[in-house]
Amino acid sequence: MSALVLHARLATAGLARNPLRTLLRAAVVAAAVALLAAMLLFISDSLRTASASAVRAVPLDWQGPVSSYSQDLSAARGVSKQAGVASAQATATAPFAGATHIGPAGHTATGSGSIFAVPPSYERSIHTFRLLQGSLRPGKIVLDQQMAATLQAQIGDTVRLAPAKGISPQPYVVSGIALITAPDQVFQPLNPSLGPAPAQPPSNAAILPLSTFARTYASSLHAITAANALQSSQPGAQQGVQWEVQAQLQSAPLAAGSPSAALKLADQTRNRVERSLPGQVQFVDNLSDSLSTAAGDALYGEALYVLLAVPGALIALGVAYLAALGTSERDRREFALLRARGARRRDLLTQAFTESAILGVLAGLVAALVGMLAVKVLVSGTTITATRALVTTAVSIVLAIAGSAVARVAAVSSVLRSSVAEGRQATRRARRVAWQRYYLDIVALAGSGLIYWLTIRTGFSAVVNPDSNPTLSLAIYMFFGPALLWLGATLLVVRLRGRVLAWLARRAALRRPGSFRSLVLASAGRRGAAINRGLLVVGLLLAFGVSLAIFSATYDQQAHVDAELTLGADVTASAQPGQGAGKSLASTVARVPGVAATTALDHSYAYVGPDLQDTYGIDPATFQGATTLRDSYFVGGTASTMMSRLAQTRNGILVSQETITDYSLKQGDLLKLRVLDQRTGKFKVAPFRVVGTVQEFPSAPRDSFMVTNRAYLDAVTHSPGPNVVFAKANGSPTAVAAKVAAATKHLGATVNNIDQQSARTATSLTTVDLTGISHIEEAFAIVLAAAAMALFVATTIAERRRELALMTAIGASIRQAGMFVWSEAGLVLGAGLILAAGLGWLAARMLVAMLTHVFDPPPDTLAIPWGFLAGMAGAAVLTVVAASILAARSLNRMHLGRVLREQ
Amino acid sequence: MTAATAVAPSVVRPASPICSCEGLTIGYGRARARVVALDDVSLEVRSSELLALLGASGSGKTTLLQALGGLVVPDAGEVKLAGESLSSLDAAARGKARAGTIAYVFQGSNLIPHLSARENLEFARLVASAAGREGPDSNSALALVGLAHKADSMPSELSGGEQQRVAIARAVTQAPDVLLCDEPTGHLDSDTGRRVLDMMVALRAELGPALVIATHDPAVAKRADRVVVLSEGRIVPGGSS
Repeated sequence: MSALVLHARLATAGLARNPLRTLLRAAVVAAAVALLAAMLLFISDSLRTASASAVRAVPLDWQGPVSSYSQDLSAARGVSKQAGVASAQATATAPFAGATHIGPAGHTATGSGSIFAVPPSYERSIHTFRLLQGSLRPGKIVLDQQMAATLQAQIGDTVRLAPAKGISPQPYVVSGIALITAPDQVFQPLNPSLGPAPAQPPSNAAILPLSTFARTYASSLHAITAANALQSSQPGAQQGVQWEVQAQLQSAPLAAGSPSAALKLADQTRNRVERSLPGQVQFVDNLSDSLSTAAGDALYGEALYVLLAVPGALIALGVAYLAALGTSERDRREFALLRARGARRRDLLTQAFTESAILGVLAGLVAALVGMLAVKVLVSGTTITATRALVTTAVSIVLAIAGSAVARVAAVSSVLRSSVAEGRQATRRARRVAWQRYYLDIVALAGSGLIYWLTIRTGFSAVVNPDSNPTLSLAIYMFFGPALLWLGATLLVVRLRGRVLAWLARRAALRRPGSFRSLVLASAGRRGAAINRGLLVVGLLLAFGVSLAIFSATYDQQAHVDAELTLGADVTASAQPGQGAGKSLASTVARVPGVAATTALDHSYAYVGPDLQDTYGIDPATFQGATTLRDSYFVGGTASTMMSRLAQTRNGILVSQETITDYSLKQGDLLKLRVLDQRTGKFKVAPFRVVGTVQEFPSAPRDSFMVTNRAYLDAVTHSPGPNVVFAKANGSPTAVAAKVAAATKHLGATVNNIDQQSARTATSLTTVDLTGISHIEEAFAIVLAAAAMALFVATTIAERRRELALMTAIGASIRQAGMFVWSEAGLVLGAGLILAAGLGWLAARMLVAMLTHVFDPPPDTLAIPWGFLAGMAGAAVLTVVAASILAARSLNRMHLGRVLREQ
Repeated sequence: MTAATAVAPSVVRPASPICSCEGLTIGYGRARARVVALDDVSLEVRSSELLALLGASGSGKTTLLQALGGLVVPDAGEVKLAGESLSSLDAAARGKARAGTIAYVFQGSNLIPHLSARENLEFARLVASAAGREGPDSNSALALVGLAHKADSMPSELSGGEQQRVAIARAVTQAPDVLLCDEPTGHLDSDTGRRVLDMMVALRAELGPALVIATHDPAVAKRADRVVVLSEGRIVPGGSS
């Protein structure tokens, strides 16, 4: 114990003796560890956020079909007692054939619809509908707002529901108006073995108290049981009463971990509940379905975070290591002295570790603080709990101790090896190290190139397996592409030892012999190895920043493209279903301030043979002005070519590849479609001419659809006019959409914007939020590159201290002496920027190629974030300038007499 | 005191002071650890004289040379270079004053390590030229010290004696009024040291700068016009001649 205290005292004294050196080492280790801490915090936070969002997005976790009312009540009681279950309610759904209402406006009627029966306490725990007016009361009915509008019924009116044709209608007094917010889940057919099958919501819906439903309505229809469930398993085909237990799980435990952990917990809970109520209930699990998607996205995210974060973390630790090596010569001297005074090997190691531990604790605390601060500042909405902060601090301290120990171990090992015999061995070992002899750098670069070639040649890239247990199909070899690129480039830079730069400097020196500049360049030309040390760190850090920025920008670009493809345009305004808004909608939207261009579409359906397909009537002349058409959306021609063909052929139509294959079509063929004649309400045959193949189109579904001229489609369908308007926003889509919504309110249009859509898109890679981690890494890339640049200037001055003093003693001005340092900093910066541009671009290209198949659509080109790149280069330049000014001041203050006495 | 017979003794005669110090006091360290390197030293260096500063190690020779060249700032007293007081100048102005007047030959490593012999000379010549001094060109200066054939050699490729000769040649290119030499033969064997000294004396005779040599070698003192003895930071009364 006393020996340990002695070591601690010695270590503390050693660190305190050179406070600047200690601070430098701690600062660099802290910067590297802070990057790791920030990334760990962000990743864990984003995974928890993903879980919470997925859980929150599910309005109804479980639906368990049962055969009777009594079973329903009993199973609901049983389920509600289970651990992890927040609430379980006995409910039911049933169809009705029609509803009538006699009011002041006369007799109104609706077609078929569905009833949802719930107990009185339902609303408090499960949120599938929202009461707009009134309340749910025994013996009375609550109408969905659309049904209430159709029937023109109000609270207090009586409506009559006919359970089926031929059964006399039941009268109910209306006690409220509600909005059923989760009709897809509430009215879906329930088959636990098939899982969730969200259904087209019914046009008319009403809510009854469960007891009223059981007493007055259920007896008119048969109950759906396991035996006859198949008949009702098709969406919209429900004919009987579906008794069901609906349950919500406790959300806090689910949201505490990653989506995968939440999925596992949800599955375990469901299995436990089903096992504990054998034969009573089995659930359709909406929650697991949502969590599966979230887990898939999280898996993408984790893979991306690894791909993006690891190089940064390694380079950051490299900076820390180099900074520590910068003082290792002094360390070596101190250890040699201790050894000469009789210190044993064990003592030296204990001493080194104790010092690393003290330094690590200091650096770890700073790193944790900086990391948490960076996450709070750079990533909006991040919450750092006390536990998370403690864990981060602990991890940071461990990493910092490990990081600082690496350099110390190197120094100690050097001392421990320093016997005469080993010294001789070292002389004999002067030949190149193994990796240089075997050209490992070239092999790594060739391997990386081969993997890249295979990736783009074979089209093999990451794909998510769309099953309930999401896994990411990333062949392990794909990870080697970027890894080998970084390794090969690093080793190649080490091998070159700045020879290229030195050669260039010497060549430049020869151009103006006898000038001061030629002397400066000649000196730089002989310091290739020293310049290379700076280039290695600064160049790789800048390259990391470049690759990250290009990848992030491409990723954001594709997220925008994906959202635009899904929504259609920056802003869309859709007329109410079944209603064409004529030209008024388009002209109204076009007049809204901030709308740069508009195009109107007619979205309808048409039969190709027996297949009902979405059909889009567009105006080819205005379409590309309001939204983006990419060449990759079409087969056999560019977007402009296809629009031109449509414009030239009045009844021209673009069809999907599937339709082309299924019906053996080719360009110019006649295609007869059955379209809905809106004047008669019946389908009729209309001739179209195939002018091309389309595989994707703004707002179109991903399977089969068709695109034709709106004028022709409107003429054959007698459509009242376009029902969708696409608008390009001049400024914030959200702000423009708000103005469009206000302007079209009187037309009853639904307005969406691309910002909403980006947040909503839930099935593609681009939904993984890279913004936070990009901000963190970009900020650290700038800070670390700037620090590395400053470190290079400081190290160069420290190394050349006596030389610079000599120059000054001879009579050189600070500027003249400083030129010998600034020129090298300039070379490092210039070469670093070139290395960064090349290596960063290649690394980003490789990442994008790996992930091409998960971008939808794949990117045509890489997006270059010029602003960030200029900022990063500017930061490095500014650092050189700032470091130069500070260095000039330190040179000016240099005690020439004392320095010149040093030998 | 007589100059050496090898190179034209008594050709140059002491004249007006080019460099002087008055009441110079310089110390290092603080409080109890403070060491006084020079204590109330006054000295004049006259044009073209060869002045030897004799004294044991730690007597203050190097500090006095550095003070005369404006490399250290005195705690008290005044240094004048060509009649101008250095005390009132900042570091940059002191450097400028130095560039036009003084050249150094230090003990041991003297050359800029990443420049060749010729480039070392070029550097000094460019610095002096900026201060309005025009010395001989680098090749001529190297020829003067007999190292024209080593012009492209790097300092690490030169022997200790050759390095000192290059340093002398570098001083020559600066055409200084005063050449301050801090134990220029201290790291050399006696034979090489003697040849280096011969060369310096010969150059002084040919080019005319004052030569101040700090040394503890009595052989050097024998060839000086004047000898000043330092002990514990003070000029020894009667020790000078």
